[in-house]
Formats: sequence, structure tokens, C-alpha cells
Amino acid sequence: MMQRSSWFRFSTPSLVLIPVAVGINYIGKLFAGTLKLPLWLDSIGTVLAGMLAGPAIGALSGAINNVIYGLTVDPISFVYGLTSILIGLVSGIMASRGWITGWARALVVGLAVGLTATAVSTPLNVWFWGGQTGNFWGDALFAVVLAQTGSVWLASFLDEVVVDIPDKLLTVLVAYALFRSLPKGIKQLYSGRDELETLDG
Amino acid sequence: MKTFSLYVPRDSLIHRINPIDKILYTITAIAVPLILPSMAASFLCMLISLSLLAAARVVRQSLPVFAFVFLILCTVVLIQGWFYPGNQTPLFGVEPFVFHAEGLMKACRIGIRVTNVVAAFLLLVLTTKPADLVEELVRRGLSPRIGYVLDSIFQILPQMMNTTRTILDAQRSRGLETEGSLWVRVKAFLPLIVPVVMSSLIHAKERALALEVRGLHFEGQRTWLREKRTYPYSREIRGGLLLVLTASIVWRILG
Repeated sequence: MMQRSSWFRFSTPSLVLIPVAVGINYIGKLFAGTLKLPLWLDSIGTVLAGMLAGPAIGALSGAINNVIYGLTVDPISFVYGLTSILIGLVSGIMASRGWITGWARALVVGLAVGLTATAVSTPLNVWFWGGQTGNFWGDALFAVVLAQTGSVWLASFLDEVVVDIPDKLLTVLVAYALFRSLPKGIKQLYSGRDELETLDG
Repeated sequence: MKTFSLYVPRDSLIHRINPIDKILYTITAIAVPLILPSMAASFLCMLISLSLLAAARVVRQSLPVFAFVFLILCTVVLIQGWFYPGNQTPLFGVEPFVFHAEGLMKACRIGIRVTNVVAAFLLLVLTTKPADLVEELVRRGLSPRIGYVLDSIFQILPQMMNTTRTILDAQRSRGLETEGSLWVRVKAFLPLIVPVVMSSLIHAKERALALEVRGLHFEGQRTWLREKRTYPYSREIRGGLLLVLTASIVWRILG
């Protein structure tokens, strides 16, 4: 539709995708809450945006998501903005490298996103909460590991791993399921192939 | 159009301050305790942010956020008090749950830091209308397209929430179980989220076409719908914040 390059596809459809991604994040969290699931599932939109429109839009969706979430619901989400950015970035990079061609590969993307989120969130948790995450089961584990080993970093890392890996795994799988079931007419908007074909001879 | 945010309309001086200056204040209030890692510095920053919240008359609206933070801080006190690696001086409690002085001090330090960060962000969030913030950012050089994206979220979110409610009701009336065992609830997730995502992406496609037709990608001089607002004390605030930051860096190097 408009100018694109491989990394910064800031075409109009990509820009309009960002609010939708933020909305999907919200709704994922809302449904997870309504269904009383023990996970957050609050970055489905960010991952989907990365899959559809590339790493830059994924990262931008992540950043804007946490700013908006901070302005509207929970100011603490500003602290975790960096995590969101990297979630969008990693899922976008892996998607553009052909890692979303099957369920098994999507599982790998999920693990990669989960590990990235853990790696970024752990230092933030240590700085902000002294190592906890605010999730009940994770914090219980944090207490046990801290009491056994005396290492805040190990305890905080494990606290984050048990919460983040299942959460991001499921998030990426849901995003992949959504991505697969999207009509071609929508995927094509973001596919970056905009050569014109002509029927005139 | 219905929008939603934590913004509380009030007539206070802090509400009239330039949103950019408030962002700068928030950054300073978080940066100073990082530069000067003494408890006194954090405590002072926390007190200033809290009194500014009081001056802006938004204390009542900040309570729900602080209540949530307080809940987590309670678990911090328990865990750090019992298991903090540097624990030496037992105070009270029964084995293995003995509160130690060092752990409680650590918990206290975490509590002050968290309250400080949350209060600094709340000051920005509760006293700034998101639209004003976006407008100032665009005037400062943020891409107008990103400005549009930010502004549009506040309108698109309530729309998506409405769609969500409709779909939840529709699926329930078709017999989708949304309560019961964990597996039942997990299974209900996809039939709920797929229709919302599909309809919003189809709407997004239409919005993209409409925006393209209206020249979102126009390159050149843009005009403003609203006149530029003047904000009071901008120079004084920026100068003061810069002074505080420089002073704390100098203190750190010398001290």
C-alpha cells in the first residue's frame, strides 16, 4: 500500500495494527481473568503483531502497550516496558526468519520468547521488588529457594521461569493459532510483497 | 466518545504543568535514588512525590494502586524478614519463621523504593490527560503517525471491550462453558479470543484504507487542531530538575 522496507514496515496497515495489538493484549488478560486461568496471557497481541508485521512493529506494540497500560490501569507496567519490547522483537525476528511454519517450530518460538522475557524481567524484579514477581506460586518458590540457597538471583530467576515460560509458551501458541486462522486478505496487507501485476498485455 | 484512563480532572497547579515536565520529574524521582543509593535519598524522593500527589488532590484515586502494591509488599516483608541471605539478628518468631532485623530493613528499603516509583508514575498518570500528553510529545518531535496510534488506542479499546462483551454473551448462549475445571476454562479461551481478534483485524483493515485515503502518509507541514497551550513554570521546573540531578551525581562522585 505504501513505502516499506524489510525491517521498518511502517505502512498504514502496520500502524493501525498497533492499537489492535494493544487491545488484544488487554482482552487476553481480561479473558484469562474471567476464566480464572493461573496465567496472565497479556502479550498475545504483541506477539501476533510481531508475527504479522515484523520485529519493529512488534517491539513498538510492546512499548506502546505498556505505556498505555501504565496510563490506564497499572502504573507498575511502565517498569516492565523493556520486557514487552523484547517480546515483540524476538517473536518478530523469529517469525521473519521462518520460525512460524508449524506447531513444533512455534513451540520453539514460545520457549525463546519465554527465556527472553525471563532474562529481562529478572533484573527488573531484583531491582524493583527485591526479587519477587507478585505471582503467588512464583513467590512461594522464591521463598523456598531463597531459604535453601541464599541466592536472590537464583531464586528470582526460578520465580520468573515458572511463571513466564508457561505463560509465554501458551501466549505464542495462541498467537500462532490466531495467525494461522487469519484470512489471506489480512495477512497479505503485511506480507511486504506489493509488486503490481498487470492484466494488460 | 467514551475514553478511559486513570486521569482525574482537577483544578490544581500540578494539573496545569506541562506533561513533558511531569515526565522529566518522574524520571528524576526514579533516577536520584539510583544515583544515591542511601535510604534517606529514596525516602526524601518518596515524600516529595507523595506530597505532590496530595497537592494535586488525587490521593483518594491513588489508593487502589497503593493498596495493590501494599499487598505484595506484605509478602516482601514476610519473605525478606524470614529468608534474607544477610540475616543475622533474630528479633521474634518461631523456627524456621524468625523475623530478622536485616531482612526487615531490606524489606523497608524495597517498600520505600516501590512506593517512590509508583508515586512518581502516579503523579504523571493521575494529573495528565493522555491526549494532552500525546499532543505535547508530537509538538516536541514525535512522529504524528505514532501520535495518532497513541490517541486512537483510547477510542479503539472501549470499542473492543464492547465487542468482547457481546462475544462472551453470544458464546455462552450457544452453550460454551466458561466455568468448571481448569481444562474446561482453558478450552474456552480460544473460542472467545478468536472472534474478537478476527473482527478487530477486519476493522483495522478498513481503518487503514480510510486513513490512507485521508492522507495519513502526507509528507509536509501539518497544522494543529488546537492552539498551542502555554504551561506555567516550565523553565524553572526543568532547571530545578537538572540542578537536582547534577547535584546528586556530584554528591555520588565526591561522597
